[in-house]
Amino acid sequence: MKKLLALLLTLAMVLSMAVCASAADPISLVVWGAEEDQALLAELVEGFKAAYPDQTFDIQIGVESESTAKDTVLTDVEAAADVFAFANDQLNDLVAAGALLDLSGQVSAVLPAYAGKTLEDVMAANGEGSVAAASKDGKLYAFPMGGGNNYFLYYDSTKVSAEQAQSWDGLLAAAEAAGSKVGMTFASGWYNASFFLGAGFIADMNEDGTTVIDWNGTSSDGYTGVDVAKAMAEIAANPGFLAIADGDISNQIASKAVCAVISGTWDAGAAEAAFGEGYAATKLPTFTCAGSQVQMSCYSGFKLMGVNAYSKNSGWAVLLAEYLTNESSQTARFNSRQLAPTNLNAAADEAVSSNIAIAASAAQDVYGSVQNVGGKYWDPTATFGQMVANGELSTADEAAIQNVLDTLVEGVCAAIQ
Amino acid sequence: MEEKSNGFARIGSAFSGFLAGIVQFFSEFGTALAGGDAFVKLSLIWWGAGHFRRKQYVKALLMTLLEVGIILFTFNFAMSYVPKFGTLGTVQAEQVFNIQTMQSEWNDYDNSFMILLFSLFSFVVWAASVVVCMRNVVNAYRLQMEAQQGHHINSFVEDVREYLDKKFHITLLTLPTLGIVIFTLIPMLLLILVAFTNYDQQHMPPTNLFTWVGFSNFVSLFGGGITSTFGYAFVRVLGWTIVWSFFATLTTYFGGILMSLLLNSKLTRCTRLWRTMLVVTIAVPQFVSLLLMRNFFANTGIMNTICANIGLTDFLRKIGLISTSYIPFLSAPIWAHVMIILINIWVGIPYQMLIATGVLMNLPTDQLESARMDGANPFQVFKSITMPYMLQVTGPALVTDFVKNFNNFNVIYLLTQDVYVTTNQFMANSQAKEVDLLVTWLFTLTQDYYNYKMASVIGIMVFVVCAIFTLIGFNFMIRGDKEGTYQ
Amino acid sequence: MTQSKLQPAVHLGKRNTKIILHNALIAFLCFVWIIPIVWLVCTSFSAYPGKNTSTFFPEEWSAIHYVKLLTPDTVNQFPTWFMNTFKIACWTCVISTLFVLMVAYAMSVMRFPARKGLMNLAVLLNLFPGMLSMIAVYFTLKTFGLTNSHIGLILVYSASSGLGYLIAKGFFDTVPRSLCEAARLDGCNEAMIFWKIVLPTSKPIIVYTVISSFLVPWMDFVYAKMILNAGISANYTVAVGLYKMLEKSLINTYFTQFCCGGVLVSIPISILFFIMQKFYVEGVTNGAVKG
Repeated sequence: MKKLLALLLTLAMVLSMAVCASAADPISLVVWGAEEDQALLAELVEGFKAAYPDQTFDIQIGVESESTAKDTVLTDVEAAADVFAFANDQLNDLVAAGALLDLSGQVSAVLPAYAGKTLEDVMAANGEGSVAAASKDGKLYAFPMGGGNNYFLYYDSTKVSAEQAQSWDGLLAAAEAAGSKVGMTFASGWYNASFFLGAGFIADMNEDGTTVIDWNGTSSDGYTGVDVAKAMAEIAANPGFLAIADGDISNQIASKAVCAVISGTWDAGAAEAAFGEGYAATKLPTFTCAGSQVQMSCYSGFKLMGVNAYSKNSGWAVLLAEYLTNESSQTARFNSRQLAPTNLNAAADEAVSSNIAIAASAAQDVYGSVQNVGGKYWDPTATFGQMVANGELSTADEAAIQNVLDTLVEGVCAAIQ
Repeated sequence: MEEKSNGFARIGSAFSGFLAGIVQFFSEFGTALAGGDAFVKLSLIWWGAGHFRRKQYVKALLMTLLEVGIILFTFNFAMSYVPKFGTLGTVQAEQVFNIQTMQSEWNDYDNSFMILLFSLFSFVVWAASVVVCMRNVVNAYRLQMEAQQGHHINSFVEDVREYLDKKFHITLLTLPTLGIVIFTLIPMLLLILVAFTNYDQQHMPPTNLFTWVGFSNFVSLFGGGITSTFGYAFVRVLGWTIVWSFFATLTTYFGGILMSLLLNSKLTRCTRLWRTMLVVTIAVPQFVSLLLMRNFFANTGIMNTICANIGLTDFLRKIGLISTSYIPFLSAPIWAHVMIILINIWVGIPYQMLIATGVLMNLPTDQLESARMDGANPFQVFKSITMPYMLQVTGPALVTDFVKNFNNFNVIYLLTQDVYVTTNQFMANSQAKEVDLLVTWLFTLTQDYYNYKMASVIGIMVFVVCAIFTLIGFNFMIRGDKEGTYQ
Repeated sequence: MTQSKLQPAVHLGKRNTKIILHNALIAFLCFVWIIPIVWLVCTSFSAYPGKNTSTFFPEEWSAIHYVKLLTPDTVNQFPTWFMNTFKIACWTCVISTLFVLMVAYAMSVMRFPARKGLMNLAVLLNLFPGMLSMIAVYFTLKTFGLTNSHIGLILVYSASSGLGYLIAKGFFDTVPRSLCEAARLDGCNEAMIFWKIVLPTSKPIIVYTVISSFLVPWMDFVYAKMILNAGISANYTVAVGLYKMLEKSLINTYFTQFCCGGVLVSIPISILFFIMQKFYVEGVTNGAVKG
């Protein structure tokens, strides 16, 4: 009996020692960033460690593309990284699944305690649009990391004049004259919404997570959905137009098939290489809708950095996420991958404002709106765009177009399940 | 007719044999319990009792340990999940941040998915232990009888030796069966259960709970309701899946035979070289070769460039086959359907060619010779000798191939994912495409829309349809049980 | 041949034309089959890093992307992926082959009460789409702490392999029963018959099973992507790694490297095939006879 007792005592001691030791265990965190961010992240993480010399950290950096982070995170939230970068179109789904920590909740206290700033400071330091894109129902769910995730017009100024680049009519005429094409992706709700939003239609989200669009009705600007669809169909039918499949844009730019193309900052390198001397970029053109010129809108997109709600060390994760998106980190990110800063000080830098692509992106952002749609939005809008691109909508048959728009709206606004 | 009755008789006999087995199992158990001595009865509660009584101490110890293990499993693990099986959990996750520890503190929340998974796991373990327990009683009774009749009772070593001889099948099957139960059976049962829950994007664990909803998912697939387009899409996707499986199986099957006949003809020179060229295509992983094909046939791909250069595109436009400035090889219905089947021929024929080559090597040559003597032309020989032989030998494989193609994820996914955009709005409204198979559709539903409940319903339908086709197929293909032909 | 010697020259000429036509047809078919492979190899030697959609042959030839592929960077760790996959493939191959042979032997040679029932159950299990239960498999592995580990992947690839026993069973069915009976009379038990009599005569089916299970880890990208979800690229298999190169932001810099990877993966598999081709054909054939 005595022996057993002794054994138990030893066991208890070993256990308690293990508990004590765990207090000194390094704080382990995992960060996910895009492939093109890996080298920078490694550098910044070292900076973060140096900023808190009293703590020992064990920080791992993993690869997860910003555009697909949601898929991996939602498969198993508990196994996902503590801090991860994602594009703001995934925010709604991530919040609905409870995967993002509410940064404006109790956890915001760590910022004044350790980083010497408040959450309000962080929000004020970043552009309004970016903070709105990172928030939902008045709560901040992620730190803005970069902007310019919208689309605008790249063009070859040796073939298209700056004036022609202002409107679709000018662009298409210039393309035809130069024997080239103007490219745009129609078969994606992300791109083709620019026509409808420009004409004053809405795309929004209800509280229950369903999407609401009114593209089959009449907009606040007095255009009907049929007007917009007809305008799109006319562009698609023009021989100077090239409908590009979603995801094939960079390839089309690189293969020099186009003299003007609608894309985002990520294609700046490809466009510069393809257009050479003539490389230029500007806001999106206007299009002819029911006889008048309408400025295209766009979805203003942002890259955000969120904290996993199930993070083991959520306090430190918040500090790390904040650090990775602060002014100096954003400047470093601009230098390494030309991601437009959302931090106002970083954005005011000379190098940023003189960047052709970022300047065009910012010029377009004036007409943009933050994307706030649910999962049911994408397939029906892509199908609609594909139908237009294929020339399946005859501009003469308004009833048929109305019918198509009705079905589109019905599909997008359907209940989530 | 005769074949049909034969087939159904087979199923009937298999079923009645199964029932008879169960009845026999229980009656043995009953006799054992009724006729056994105190130790036999005691072994219901203490599994080692019967063995202990007959001085099989090692076995008694092992059985006791197993029993203790199962009891520990039950109370330390199973009981924290199984009681929640009825509701699939009620405690929502909540957290409080503690700035002292810099950590979030969670309540003891329920995770519906884990409750489902671990409950199922527990049920399987319990079912297995009930069977073990009953067998154990029967064994104890057998030992008692042997002891009473003065027979020799096996020592532990002799028992072990038995597992290498008469009971060798148990030794052989234990590990593989365990693997199948954990990695196929339990996951399968779990997803069947999910079809009766509301596990979807609005109810995703761990943050949200899901619960039982009965048959409502089946109703929304077949009965219209909120997802009327689901039924619409299901019928179309099912239709294409069947058409695809049919053509994919038959084209590669006959293509493989023809190719092998061509290659193995006496007229062929350098057979090995040709065969090697074909087999190389198997060695390239499909995700490489098919993704390349997809680029090759893209709207702006090389094939389109070539077709435009030789004027084919313009010609097709003139006769009204296409309305676009490119040939939509993989981006329009019909075109894509045909292309997918053609590309699958490219993928499948080398395999089938290898199989056919082997089978045809065993073709009885005397029949061939006599047919040639009778002046039969090659086609007649093919029709009346080669084909019947091939069908007889590989018929059952044809049915399995059909089921494999029914669930052929790779070819469809790699060729159409991200490039095919449907222009059918009703399909789009339920996240389906004209070129989707049921499996690729359910994959999209789970991966992009987290709609596990509908995916599970579709999975069950796949199962049902495959079962029907297998049944019909085997009725046609198998004439009686061929087992033992060689024995 | 003796016949043709007796035939007049005209017939010989006719036969020759026939041979030429016949072989021309085969050559044409093989040409069609080999085009995508040729394209793959050509593209992998292109100097241009992105997708080439306008010409069949690259405009500029270079082996630079092979060099790049073999020098790891943040995206590409091909040599590590290759070794990972090789390791996984070897283990998968050993376990799968053992499982398949064990089940096949039990079902083919031995007779026991539950045999028919188990075989019917196996048919049923094969009808259910495996894609669907992926999520359940993932969480099962996670329970045992085996996600993001190669052991987990090996289990996924091999644990259920017993279900694919049919072809091997078909093969064992053709092994003459008299051999086994004779061995039994000599005092062999079942285990010895399995090891000493049946396995040695089953080289073709063993080779067939080895090759088919060895291929799985090289081809699968769906399960591997789900299970290796920590984003640690040094853990990837070749399939996951190469597949990630096709992401929108990477495809224009990595497409040619992707092709190089495809070629490099095919080489060992092709070699394996050529060495084992004879056995492979025999194995699949004799098995399929009964399968």
